[in-house]
Amino acid sequence: MSEPQSIVFVVDDDASVRRAIQRLIESVGLHVESFGSAKEFLQANRSDVPSCLVLDIRLPGKSGLELQRELAEANIRIPIIFITSHGDVAMTVRAMKAGAVEFLTKPFRDQDLLDAVQVALERDRARRQQSAEIATLRERLELLTPRERQVLPLVISGLLNKQIAAEIGATEATVKVHRSQLLRKMGARSLPDLVRMAQRLGIPHKAA
Amino acid sequence: MSLVMSSANAVMAGSYDYGEVAGSILIAVAASYAALDLAGRVTAASGRARLVWLSGGATAMGIGIWAMHFKGMLAFRLPVSVEYHWPTVLLSLVVAILASAFALYVVSRQKLDPVKALTGSVIMGSGIVGMHYIGMTAMRLPAITRYSPLLVTFSILLAILFSLIALLLAFDLREETKWTVPRRIGSATVMGVAVCAMHYTGMAAASFIPSSPANLSHAVRISDVGNNAIAIVTLIVLIAALVTSSVDRRASAEVGEQLRQAQEDLARVTRVVAMGELAAAIAHEVNQPLTAIVTNGNFCLRRLGGATSSPDELRAAITEIVGDGTRASAVISRIRGLLAKGVPKRTELDVNQFIQDVTILLRNEFTRKRVSLRTELACDLPSVTGDSVQLQQVLINLIMNAIEATCTSTNGRREILIRSAKNPDGVLVQVQDSGPGVEPSLANRIFEPFFTTKAEGIGMGLSISHSIIESHGGRIGIVPSSTGALFEFTLPADDASVS
Repeated sequence: MSEPQSIVFVVDDDASVRRAIQRLIESVGLHVESFGSAKEFLQANRSDVPSCLVLDIRLPGKSGLELQRELAEANIRIPIIFITSHGDVAMTVRAMKAGAVEFLTKPFRDQDLLDAVQVALERDRARRQQSAEIATLRERLELLTPRERQVLPLVISGLLNKQIAAEIGATEATVKVHRSQLLRKMGARSLPDLVRMAQRLGIPHKAA
Repeated sequence: MSLVMSSANAVMAGSYDYGEVAGSILIAVAASYAALDLAGRVTAASGRARLVWLSGGATAMGIGIWAMHFKGMLAFRLPVSVEYHWPTVLLSLVVAILASAFALYVVSRQKLDPVKALTGSVIMGSGIVGMHYIGMTAMRLPAITRYSPLLVTFSILLAILFSLIALLLAFDLREETKWTVPRRIGSATVMGVAVCAMHYTGMAAASFIPSSPANLSHAVRISDVGNNAIAIVTLIVLIAALVTSSVDRRASAEVGEQLRQAQEDLARVTRVVAMGELAAAIAHEVNQPLTAIVTNGNFCLRRLGGATSSPDELRAAITEIVGDGTRASAVISRIRGLLAKGVPKRTELDVNQFIQDVTILLRNEFTRKRVSLRTELACDLPSVTGDSVQLQQVLINLIMNAIEATCTSTNGRREILIRSAKNPDGVLVQVQDSGPGVEPSLANRIFEPFFTTKAEGIGMGLSISHSIIESHGGRIGIVPSSTGALFEFTLPADDASVS
């Protein structure tokens, strides 16, 4: 069986609510996996594809809010849509502050849930893409020689070859070679492109 | 010799200083009043406080009785100088205090039967007589004291009689009611006069025959200053005892009021919390199937709107809708069942008595909100059968709503009328207030769960009342009226009492 493109996880202790939500979400062509408790969800083998979680607040055992906190602590950054029978303002604020995508009160409008699911999947997709890009950049960074890695912060700080040469005790010609190697190895089209990449990797500027 | 003897045997002529006599009577009345008042405090207190009140009260009262007596002796003026042997005087004071302690103990007991009263008065009377004659022996004067047996016996009988009266009065007056103070003043006067009568009889029983100078060791002369000091100190002690008693009484009354208030608040909070929890539980239990129904319904609509709907998946969704609808209604009937669980406790009720019980329960509420209550209870009511706790809940609910409504009313009149009447269905109970009334458009909705017009209301009161009355086979409703809101409910009469 081929892996689905994306998965919507549903956690609600009420079987008929769970089935109804699954049916609704599946009707727009999405793959759904549903669970009756936080524990079942945590124990399941989850495919590593863009996904989101439709989570009831009131659950037997671990509550929805507790599951949200636990996932955050484990650095599992799956977007969450909360559904609840009786959400108060304080609860909503807490959930939203902790990064929930949406907070829906049961019974909710079907379109509201489907919209929230789309937003959540989109958000997860973007996050995944972003972290994939960063992973690529990290790999490229690994390819640099120690000397090139030393030159990189100086280049992105906007120093001239002459200044860099003075800084590292090399000839201007050598620096020029380093600079072109940096751009090539990192796959940057221009100096501003390289600066953006360095920013995403968290490499600080180095003023002369 | 015989002449000399006879002249030596001549009784000394004594006279009374009437100012002093009056002073002694005043002290006797004050001491009696203090005794009556303190008896109430000793009765009201318990544990350590009781012991403190008993010993403090006995000291104040003993000093009072003793001072009256001593003052009475000083009021008797003899032609010779009289001194007092102070250790004996002190002993007489101790006897007075012990007699007082015993008296306070007897009257503060729960019951006072005739035998106890009689024994008590014999002991107390003996104490007082003892104090009196011990006090007399403290006199040091150049004379021999002779006692007339008849008068001594008479004084003892008076003392016992006085003690009996005192114990009965004190026991009767220890409960503090509205008329306690005037009654205590009256009783104290009677007691005070009785004490004096006993004392002056005792004094009259003694005659003094001149003889050789007395042994004056440990004897003191009581100056006029000392004499007045005894009176003043005694009055101060008695007043201090009375003030303490009054402060204590007020404090304990206040504590009682606070306690009552706290209990009432707690009851209200508990009721609201229980209602709140019930409401939240109902909300959740009903909301789950509703969520599934709405979601499945939406799914069906989507499918029917699109081109690709298969009858099988629609059938599956609709089957679930039906199942969840049934589940929601099962939740509702379970709650009904919960309310009806009290049914086995059904007893025969006198509706008028029942109304009176509830209004007594809410008396404080009426007073506090300054709402006046009028009742028009029919006397020919048939008896009904019901769960008094549940029906109380209904009536309390209607009355509390009525009280709240009258308080929002802008015209000055705050009145609630409760009526009972016989009607074809059985018994009719009406609660009418002078408030602004219920808008006709809302009249149909006020019995719905969670419908409320109050800022802090949860809207369960009338809805629960409705269920309760229905489970009793009666009806509840709102009736159009010219003033305020008029709620009524009926309860079917017992078969046996329908003629």
